Amino acid sequence: MKVKLEHIYIIVFIAIAYLLLPAMNSDYLFAIQENSVFIKGRTFMSDIVSDTHGGWIAWVSCYLTQFFYYPWLGSSIIIAIWSVTYLLLLRTFNLKGKWSFIAIIPTLFLFVRLLDYGYWIYYTKNIGYAFSGTLLLFAIAFVSCLLTEILRRRLKDKWHKNYSYALFAVCFILGTWTSKGWNLRDHQSELSVTIRDKNFKHELRMYRAIDEFRYEDALKEMQFEDGEPTNLMVLLKNIALMHTGRITDMFKTNNCGVMPNTGDSIKIHISQLAAPLVYYQFGQMNYAYRWAMGNAVTYGQSFRNLKMMIRSAIFSGDFDVAKKYIAMLKTSTFYSDWAKEHEEWVYNSTKFVQSIDNQHIGQLVNDDVNMLDNDNGLCEKYIIDHFSDLLYPTTPLLEDLIMCMSLWGKDEYAFAIHFYNYMQRHPNEPIPELYQEGAILLCNSERSPIELYDFPFDQIVSDKFNRFVQDYNTLSQQNVSDAEMAKRLKTLYGGTYWWYYYFYNEFNIY
Amino acid sequence: MKTKNILYTLALAVIMASCTGHPSVPTDAQRESRLPKIFPDYTEVTIPSNICPMNFAVQEGATDVVARLTYPNGEITYGDGQKVIIDEEEWTGILKASKGKSITVEIYAKIDGKWKVFNPFNINVAEEAIDPYISYRVIQPSYVAYEKLSINQRNLTNFDEKEIYNNMSVSTESTGQCINCHSYQNYKTDNMLFHMRQGYGGTMIVSNGELKKVDLKTEETISAGVYPAWHPTKNYIAFSTNSTGQSFHTKDLAKIEVQDTESDLILYDVDKNEVSIISELDDELEVFPTWSPDGKKLFFCSAHFEFYNDSISKETEMIKRYKEVKYSLYSADFDPETKRFSNMQMIFDAADSLGQSVTLPRVSPDGRYLLFAKAEFGCFHVWHHDADIYLMDLNTGKTEDLKAVNSDRSESYPTWSSNGRWIMVASRRDDGNYTRPYIAYFDKNGKAHKAFEVPQKDPYFYTFFLRSFNRPEFMVEPVTISPQEFARKAKEEAVKAKYVKN
Repeated sequence: MKVKLEHIYIIVFIAIAYLLLPAMNSDYLFAIQENSVFIKGRTFMSDIVSDTHGGWIAWVSCYLTQFFYYPWLGSSIIIAIWSVTYLLLLRTFNLKGKWSFIAIIPTLFLFVRLLDYGYWIYYTKNIGYAFSGTLLLFAIAFVSCLLTEILRRRLKDKWHKNYSYALFAVCFILGTWTSKGWNLRDHQSELSVTIRDKNFKHELRMYRAIDEFRYEDALKEMQFEDGEPTNLMVLLKNIALMHTGRITDMFKTNNCGVMPNTGDSIKIHISQLAAPLVYYQFGQMNYAYRWAMGNAVTYGQSFRNLKMMIRSAIFSGDFDVAKKYIAMLKTSTFYSDWAKEHEEWVYNSTKFVQSIDNQHIGQLVNDDVNMLDNDNGLCEKYIIDHFSDLLYPTTPLLEDLIMCMSLWGKDEYAFAIHFYNYMQRHPNEPIPELYQEGAILLCNSERSPIELYDFPFDQIVSDKFNRFVQDYNTLSQQNVSDAEMAKRLKTLYGGTYWWYYYFYNEFNIY
Repeated sequence: MKTKNILYTLALAVIMASCTGHPSVPTDAQRESRLPKIFPDYTEVTIPSNICPMNFAVQEGATDVVARLTYPNGEITYGDGQKVIIDEEEWTGILKASKGKSITVEIYAKIDGKWKVFNPFNINVAEEAIDPYISYRVIQPSYVAYEKLSINQRNLTNFDEKEIYNNMSVSTESTGQCINCHSYQNYKTDNMLFHMRQGYGGTMIVSNGELKKVDLKTEETISAGVYPAWHPTKNYIAFSTNSTGQSFHTKDLAKIEVQDTESDLILYDVDKNEVSIISELDDELEVFPTWSPDGKKLFFCSAHFEFYNDSISKETEMIKRYKEVKYSLYSADFDPETKRFSNMQMIFDAADSLGQSVTLPRVSPDGRYLLFAKAEFGCFHVWHHDADIYLMDLNTGKTEDLKAVNSDRSESYPTWSSNGRWIMVASRRDDGNYTRPYIAYFDKNGKAHKAFEVPQKDPYFYTFFLRSFNRPEFMVEPVTISPQEFARKAKEEAVKAKYVKN
């Protein structure tokens, strides 16, 4: 049997698509569906259909985007549509042999476009973007192929192959007219981010792990990081440490975040990437709700936002609004069980707060007094400052958190007070190594409001600090640059607070 | 032949689908001695004689329901799964027959395969009609962010809803605009206004049917006009001017505090395009002006607040002392001919005497009553769960908690229908977060009856709709200027208002 060239094209295309979509970018596809939404019922449908250009296609696209919940399933659907579209175009234009590559070009464009979003998955306002172009092209190809076939049979000898081009052109114009106003330039290319940026992938996996309370998996993902992690990765890593009782290991793991590598394509803010989850994990339920709502308003509703609004509403005792969102989520294809589970929590919120997943978060919520505040869109800074400023921790977790946050933010004043209070509460107990490192550093700092010399630091920690100072001074006298000094001292002192304090100076909050 | 058959079948299917079914009443139902849970709650409410069908859903976990509506000289049944959807034409007949009387509703629900029948309830039909239109701003109950906003008008006699103006029609993204505070003179739409902020900012004013765009900010005033009130007979509009900020509760379910660090009152003469000061007292935050029906009195709210900490900004001090901001009710006499205000006085000392804060006053069309919203502190009661609607008898000065209208969640923005028989409020009773319009009958004896949610074609509309209905206002006629006309005008430069001294 002779294999035709047009079949080879589509087989190769399918193979590449499967490789680059579910095999290599399953987390990306999962995130696309999580940042989209589909609610059964007239209200959602009329909202999409009336408010969106090419509304019906956007609505169907939202429906199909759900299937990326299982990336292989969603990919199979979209690849199947691309393949059928290719075959329809072959048929319409009667393309054969080497010319059949022309029919693969539009689908290739859509395939690349799906991978092209990168961080724009959080920012695009183009509802149903994952499938809408694909569906539109499929509809155009289907109608033009159908008309071509009908007319070809009716006209018989009078049929001219140029007619198919004319028919396709008419269908294309009509199709694009119905979607007039679709913002085809809803993003700038981030193909390299999706394909090559390891931090982007780490973030996606860590977010999902934290969202599913798989803290150890989030920490494992951080171990795969082999360059400089982003601030969000550091934040998620510290959440995982906090909930596994290892928050004092914060500086033993890489705590030096950088901005995501997106060039000028987009201005990234943690507020849009993960603020609801971060605030939730830190027990700041109103702020979790606020950012889920704010992001939904600005960038469109999503399963992700609905989930965060449900969780934070249950925690806050805002049960009726939780029920509202649950009623919506129950209509979804893949979050229905999640919604039903949380519906039970609404009627038993104490169990929810005390559940294995939420018990640590509960400790952070219960002791937080209400205050009027504003994060000014800087989630990370707010978390650090908010906990650094807390003076009266009422749970062991909060006690550790306020110490660590003041160290993270290099707030010497707050740390000195927290340390002093800590020592009053734990007079004869061993002092965690991190706190000793902080306090020993502050013994020599003019910024400390309290004398910290008299506390019983371990000799081994004091000696290590003295060696650090000695090595630092030696390198300074040799006029070694800061960057080089950081590199050389990292081997011996990279896991200490001192190294972080002296060499991590570009704390770019975003 | 084959094609014809298909067409006939299709036509029959369409006809069948368009028919409203009238299910038969189950004969084997067991009595459940209580009222059924229905949403929206229309049990024992009093409705206008011209309102659209009161569709509702039965929330008893039933697979099927049948509602038997018994009215003078008639009986009819409805049922569509858990929903009770009433045919509009049939409803008109039911209302006509029931005017001044009641419709009794008996609910049958099939639960776990068995029919149950609940205690019947009444829907009372008042003699009086309601203004046929209402308008509101449709907005997500969000914080700083906003995206699509629109001011919509709804025909209460059916389910028709149309946009008056939509902010996306002129600009989006960085030049996006916020729209707010629609207001009408005497419930009519030939004199009306709304504001646009940020992109293409200005106040859109329709004066005697003519549209214009003005900029009410002058060097002498705090801001452009904010909360408006059209004078009932003259082409004057009283506004507050405000310097407003937002901050966020870390734990309180109120979530947001909106505060004014500065606030005054101005009068805008529409014909002369002139702005003058009504009140700009030091340490007073004057806001929410509203006129008496004869136009000889202006009511407003004011909070006495002294800033005393120079080391921090006014905004920060206000945030720290937010619970101290409490508004009382004031009035001032007004001479429409000279535009002079006099005899400014407090008429309800909510702040000092009660430790409460009253906002959003509205006087009844007969001038006898005044509605306001009251809560523990602040001016933005839509976010305050303790906010309730109160009625003041202006003859006696007595105030009354309108319990029939209120819930344990926020009620704010009260307003009267043009005949004074209907009160509409913005309520968050459904879920605490999304504002919905509720209407209550206010009878000739000054008694408010149980409030009901403005009906929707789909009873679950409010459950699945993720936007609030803010500033619900009655209108006797629809806005006839099209959204496109507003958009065209919005793109023009705003005409600067002139400041004149009183």
